[in-house]
Amino acid sequence: MKDLKYLYEFENLLQEANNELVQQAKKDGKLCLAYTCYHIPEVLLNLPGCFSTRLRAPRTGSLDISTYYLSSFLCGYSKALVERGIEGGYQHLDALFGSETCSQMNRAYEHFELLHLVDNEKFFVTISDVPFKIMPHTVKHYKRQMQEKVLDKLHDVYGVDISDNSLKKAVEEHNEVCRLITEIGEYRKEDNPRITGYEYHILNLITYCCPKYLIIDKLRETAEELKKRTPDKKKNYRAKIVVVGSEMDDPDFTKLIEESGALVVADRFCFGALPGREEIKLNDNEDILEQIILHYMRTSQCPRYMSQDKVEGRREYVRELVNDYHADGVLYEQLKFCEYWGYERALASHVVTNDFGIPSVCVDRQYTASASGQLRTRVQAFVESLEIKKIQKEKEAEK
Amino acid sequence: MSIKSKLKNLWRNQPSNLGLLHEDKTGILKHREWRGIADTSYDYYRWLITWKDIILMSAKAPVSTVKGIYNYRWMASYLSAPAWVDRHTEGLRGPQLKMTHLHFNMLVKPTTDLINFLLANDRHFHEKSKWADRTVNVDEIFSSEFIAGFPNLRDNHVTTIPIFLTSMVDQNITPPYLDITEGYGVPADVCPLPSAEAGVAINDDYPLVGVCSLTCNMPCDGSIMNSSYIDRRFNLPTQVINVPLRYNGEDVQEYAVDEIKSAIAFVEEQTGEKWDWDAFFSAMKIYNKQTEYEIQKWEVNKTDYPQMTGATFWLYRLFYFHISGGMDKRFLKTDEKVNRIMLKAYENKVPCSKEMRHRAIVWSCPANYYTSLANWLENCWGVNVVMDMETMISYYMYDTEDPEKALGTLAKTLQRTTMRKHTKGGYQNVVDELWRIVEEFNADMVIMYDQISCKGMDGLNGIFDDQAREHNVSFIWVPQDLMDPRTISRRDMREHINKYMTTVLQEEPVDPTLVDFDDSLSW
Repeated sequence: MKDLKYLYEFENLLQEANNELVQQAKKDGKLCLAYTCYHIPEVLLNLPGCFSTRLRAPRTGSLDISTYYLSSFLCGYSKALVERGIEGGYQHLDALFGSETCSQMNRAYEHFELLHLVDNEKFFVTISDVPFKIMPHTVKHYKRQMQEKVLDKLHDVYGVDISDNSLKKAVEEHNEVCRLITEIGEYRKEDNPRITGYEYHILNLITYCCPKYLIIDKLRETAEELKKRTPDKKKNYRAKIVVVGSEMDDPDFTKLIEESGALVVADRFCFGALPGREEIKLNDNEDILEQIILHYMRTSQCPRYMSQDKVEGRREYVRELVNDYHADGVLYEQLKFCEYWGYERALASHVVTNDFGIPSVCVDRQYTASASGQLRTRVQAFVESLEIKKIQKEKEAEK
Repeated sequence: MSIKSKLKNLWRNQPSNLGLLHEDKTGILKHREWRGIADTSYDYYRWLITWKDIILMSAKAPVSTVKGIYNYRWMASYLSAPAWVDRHTEGLRGPQLKMTHLHFNMLVKPTTDLINFLLANDRHFHEKSKWADRTVNVDEIFSSEFIAGFPNLRDNHVTTIPIFLTSMVDQNITPPYLDITEGYGVPADVCPLPSAEAGVAINDDYPLVGVCSLTCNMPCDGSIMNSSYIDRRFNLPTQVINVPLRYNGEDVQEYAVDEIKSAIAFVEEQTGEKWDWDAFFSAMKIYNKQTEYEIQKWEVNKTDYPQMTGATFWLYRLFYFHISGGMDKRFLKTDEKVNRIMLKAYENKVPCSKEMRHRAIVWSCPANYYTSLANWLENCWGVNVVMDMETMISYYMYDTEDPEKALGTLAKTLQRTTMRKHTKGGYQNVVDELWRIVEEFNADMVIMYDQISCKGMDGLNGIFDDQAREHNVSFIWVPQDLMDPRTISRRDMREHINKYMTTVLQEEPVDPTLVDFDDSLSW
């Protein structure tokens, strides 16, 4: 297939947290608001005069200093953020919005405060309390947390306009990005998709890490480009898979999977599009903030949600993805030391394989996946097993 | 030695050569400790009472007990309970011995009752039973005050008997369950407590009791996640209780109370019972009294003559805090007795151990497989543990007239429960709180457990180190793996302390026979 016009540019932008577009937006006078977790609604950080950036630490090297502070038993993502912070890599931030949804990331946020990692007098960190289930009083609590810890704080410290109109504008911009990413993602349902998992990963990741107003034109152009793109006649993959799991901001991981013979057709992981790039549909009757909160609560697939409907819903969601995207199997990935996904992947893959009859494999990985020979071998073996299953099925059908 | 001294010694001696009491590796006592006539007699009398309670448990439901031993791997571990008590009374004399035995008796008695209750109502063994459908399952660190409002119901702390308490009695009971969980696909780097609890569920080793479950998000991420394993095994209607994490702020309290109200409504719906304020207030009056006794222990420990040192302090606290809920009046009777002994010993300025060299705070979660470390510290190095993290949990008093205020206190109590009061809600709750307690208890040493799989504590390792230097206290890191002695053994834990005492502080042990020994095969 012909390369996408902006792919190379996007790849380069993802090499830095403080990339060219972030710098340009800062020059335009915008506030750079960081977050890491789906539990902080991204759209609230994209009010007029602000832009969100989902925090990454690309090209992470040594984690020696953060290992001193956070020990060797915390996940690579939280340590990479603290290490990059100590190196001075987040000086462009104006605020960091966290939630105590995972102990490890919570400690990472706290180190931004404890070690004064951002040299900006107005810089602040807020950590919200987020519920584990959806009930009227938990929605009320979540709303209050977002009002006080995000909106009011932005208004008080930076004078940001947090009116309903302002929220509506942010939702409109957010929805446009979502529509484009969803439109692009639909091609992944094709028999021979015209976009690879790696390309999609790059496009989607860009929407999380760069100011949206600076990428939207390029996304529109990419969507147009894809309408006319024709895939290679010979399929470049041996099996289609859905990737499900924990934090993942490394497109090289997807590349590694695809180099091993699989095609990633759906990305149900943190920083992925499923969920994350669904439009927020607002009505005029209900409170806007509450509608936004409910959207995030309902769409969240985080294993932290404990209620039985959510636990079972997560497995059903994966089954639906496999069906909708015509996948042959599921790869559950877990960032090493992630407590949530350590448990989730084991039980969910058991259910998916044994109850739903969908082949699955579980892998754990480091924050950066490049040069992981073990991982490559695991994926290759999984792809081979999927191929064998296909052949067996065809033989059975012939009988 | 004068005749008077000899006679005094015959009546009550000082501990010495305690390391020679045990067989190598198994730790089995070669003979009981000779403490002088008075204390040996008392100790032996109490040892017999422990056995009496165990025998009574079996006699009450002999068939169920045999079935329990035959079906559940953890059940036989409780036969080693007398050895567990012995580990915590070693080297103790006079009032310390009496208080410890009284406390331990109140650990053993309700435990045998609970085992009896579980086995007699277990759906594995009985199709129908008296309590099976009038029991509400809860997580192990959920406080029993809640069920005090439902006097016709009982709660079952699902994991307490099968794994949480067993792992304290017998260090080797947890590894098989951890292996089961890991064999299922859960990584080995998660906290071994929830992992072992999941293993019990996978292996179908929980007695199946209860009509519904209240599962909560405490204490940590691992226990949030293992609830899906346990729920799957019990397969009962379940309500999740969200206990706020950022609990210092008043902004979360309304939500916290709403959660409790919602849990009450759920239990009412599932059981047909009605919340009874009179029963609740009546239990909370007892709870308050118990808390008053607890605080008196702390006050005495702040003085130059601490009386309640060692592991019994937190073990008893942990136990009554979660199990009693103001409903079991036996705890209050024990508290009254212990209080009398403690105040008298304090007035007489009785030293709590043979030598009192250091006043230590134990911080972070203790290793379940080595609950008696604090006794070893006292006997081997003269380190008196005057306060620890697990004791310093909620000490709010309940309003016993105003329902809304009482629910507010229940919510705050849950927020400040075991293992989560300090590990959640921000670093201030564990870092700043430690230095406050060091100062308040005039401690010169911190025994800092490095529970390697506790992500909430691991994430503050460097900050603790940085600030320990500023506070100029002896800060001893003791690595441990909570439930898994294979990763870091008891001996390895002691070795870290020995090295610090001999190299940094350059001290000689109080009892050299205790410095190094192998107890890897002991219970």
